[in-house]
Amino acid sequence: MTTYTICVFTSNSIGLLNRITIIFTRRRINIESLTVSETERNGVSRFTIVIKHESRDEVEKLVRQIRKIVEVLAVFGYLNDEIVYNEIALFKISTPLGSKPLDVETINKEHKAWVVYWGLDYVVIEKTGNETDIFAFFDYLRQYEILEFVRSGRVAVGKTEKGLVEYLPEADWAYTL
Amino acid sequence: MQAISVMPELEPAEMPRLLSGSQALMECLVAEGVDTIFGYPGGAIMPVYDALYDFQEQINHILVRHEQGAGHAAQGYARMQGRAGVCLVTSGPGATNLVTAIADAQIDSTPLVCIVGQVGKKLLGTDAFQEADVMGVTMPITKWNYQITTADEVPEVMAKAFYIAQAGRPGPVLIDMTKSAQLELMTQPFVYEKCRTIISYRPRLLPKMEQLQAAAKLINGAKRPYIFAGHGVQISKAEAELLAFAEKTGIPVATTLLGQSTIPTNHPNYVGWLGMHGNYGPNVLTDQADVIIAIGMRFDDRVTGDASKYIRQAKVVHIEIDPSEIDKIIKAHAPVVGDAKEVLKALLPLVHDNDHTIWRNEFRKYDVIENETITTPELSGDTEKIKMAEVIDLLSRKTNGEAVLVTDVGQHQMMASRYYQFRRKNSLVTSGGMGTMGFALPAAFGAQVGAPDRQVVAIIGDGCFQMTLQELGTIVQNKQPVKAIILNNNFLGMVRQWQQLFHSRRYSFVELQNPNFVMIARGFGMEGHTCEAREALSDSLDKMLAHDGPYLLEVIVEKEENVFPMVPAGASVAQIRLK
Repeated sequence: MTTYTICVFTSNSIGLLNRITIIFTRRRINIESLTVSETERNGVSRFTIVIKHESRDEVEKLVRQIRKIVEVLAVFGYLNDEIVYNEIALFKISTPLGSKPLDVETINKEHKAWVVYWGLDYVVIEKTGNETDIFAFFDYLRQYEILEFVRSGRVAVGKTEKGLVEYLPEADWAYTL
Repeated sequence: MQAISVMPELEPAEMPRLLSGSQALMECLVAEGVDTIFGYPGGAIMPVYDALYDFQEQINHILVRHEQGAGHAAQGYARMQGRAGVCLVTSGPGATNLVTAIADAQIDSTPLVCIVGQVGKKLLGTDAFQEADVMGVTMPITKWNYQITTADEVPEVMAKAFYIAQAGRPGPVLIDMTKSAQLELMTQPFVYEKCRTIISYRPRLLPKMEQLQAAAKLINGAKRPYIFAGHGVQISKAEAELLAFAEKTGIPVATTLLGQSTIPTNHPNYVGWLGMHGNYGPNVLTDQADVIIAIGMRFDDRVTGDASKYIRQAKVVHIEIDPSEIDKIIKAHAPVVGDAKEVLKALLPLVHDNDHTIWRNEFRKYDVIENETITTPELSGDTEKIKMAEVIDLLSRKTNGEAVLVTDVGQHQMMASRYYQFRRKNSLVTSGGMGTMGFALPAAFGAQVGAPDRQVVAIIGDGCFQMTLQELGTIVQNKQPVKAIILNNNFLGMVRQWQQLFHSRRYSFVELQNPNFVMIARGFGMEGHTCEAREALSDSLDKMLAHDGPYLLEVIVEKEENVFPMVPAGASVAQIRLK
């Protein structure tokens, strides 16, 4: 099984998420993670979809099927070494009176994670990294009581000097902000 | 003397009148040149029907008997006209009844614009009366769908709808229009601008030169090249270009089911048609070609059989407008993305004059075998009852191969394709990809409306007919001279054939107790008769063809005949059976 990251650029419209995901479900491909956000260009959304698949051919076919959707501007399928990618995880750790104190220095320096919220009997730690980093940190935190753990989907940019505008030069989009 | 207006609500001339969403929709249809729509009214589409009342001069609305009929009729119309067929139905069940036709149009690349009513915007998601999530239901089976919730959206969305339905590889578009958007007034004057392009959808029509050159190189170097002509040839109206290409290169041409009639069956380059029940030579010799030139076809599993054993020896030139079809089933060595007509035009000067007579004659050897073992015996007339093949063969001769054949799905469909000798282009309308029983009667009606100058003959099985026979009413009310032939074997014949061949004759629920079809037709006000005796067949066909108006001819055929040749499901094309 190889991990593929599929980046889909679309015009922003209602129902598009459904139109894209049914292409996966119809072919019985499980979506590992999915992130949607507006891009730097006004009215353009970006879907980052992570899947695992054994056949590169099938993934290429999938990419072409997604490209076929009328609102889709461009689709890129990437292997991990072709992208810079990350995700974010939040850990809610129980810290009642008398419990084992948090080693904030190790958390900060070794795991590059940060306590972002101090509650009365708990803290929330934020960790950014790839899946391996995050699971290593999870392992480290097992010594405490993990009340909640949540990961975002992957976000990724391709390792090229090109931007979306260069793939679609005829578009004249303003920046979103 | 100047007329004095006493109507206080009359607006000053310089103030343009604001249209309701429904009126705007009518103006859009007129601007798109739509003169015929197929529909059925209901609660959530009533404002549109009210607006339509004022547009009866410009738009001929045809009231069908069931929304599925509207869909198939629009398909038949679209295929004859080469432009989008338009359907108008209400929300909920009106829309869900249309779903089969939409799916059929999607897989057979037929342009449709389906306008569907929806509950008011405030009621969306409340399980209101006749509310169904039609956007959700049709998303996987439309080329595009969109929900209109404000009247102001109407012109731009309708322009996009017609563009998307017809551009590139055509397909069905569904517009879900809330009742509130139908009723409310636009906030600005109606302006219609046809859609010419969409930034995210720009189908490539003109091929890339390097792709053409790669294709030409393969074709020019081929010893046994072989053309597969698909539905795309007809959609892009590339019949003349196909002929010019085939004649210059001398390459044999086989068609797919939907590619039939793109080349006359008596043309020297024509060798037959491909697929599960296609001709013997064209299937077998697929394995001996060294270059396959596939034009506007998608290597459907009914063509390839077991795809893993299919044309492994050949290089493939795949000419196709939809890039997602390239490499989908069969790897293309020289893909050419573009419109079939444009590609063939551009390719013609790049290919050498050639003469593949020896290779083409290979096909004739197989024709002899097929004729001896199948065709001649089927037409010999030595059985007690009439055979389907005899009916089609005689019909073909009586119509000089110039009729539009609209076929349903099953044995009669395959027999119609096997025995009709197509002489004119655009002469077969059938449900290929979806295999929708009940397609033929409404599609034949739509085809006749779309091609009033042509003789339209529907070939229908007794099972299929009972799925949409209510459209006899539509045919009669609209006085369309559709001729319908029911080939009645009192069986769901194709399923029975499979049960005989692959399920040791365990005939599981395939025998029908049929009604009196002719009485049914008469009940609708349509003339007809039954032909049972072989001696009466010729006169029966003459009577039907000569009849002024619609006519139903029921022919009682051999109960348990099988369609051969046959590539069994999952087998390779080389394993084609002659009996």
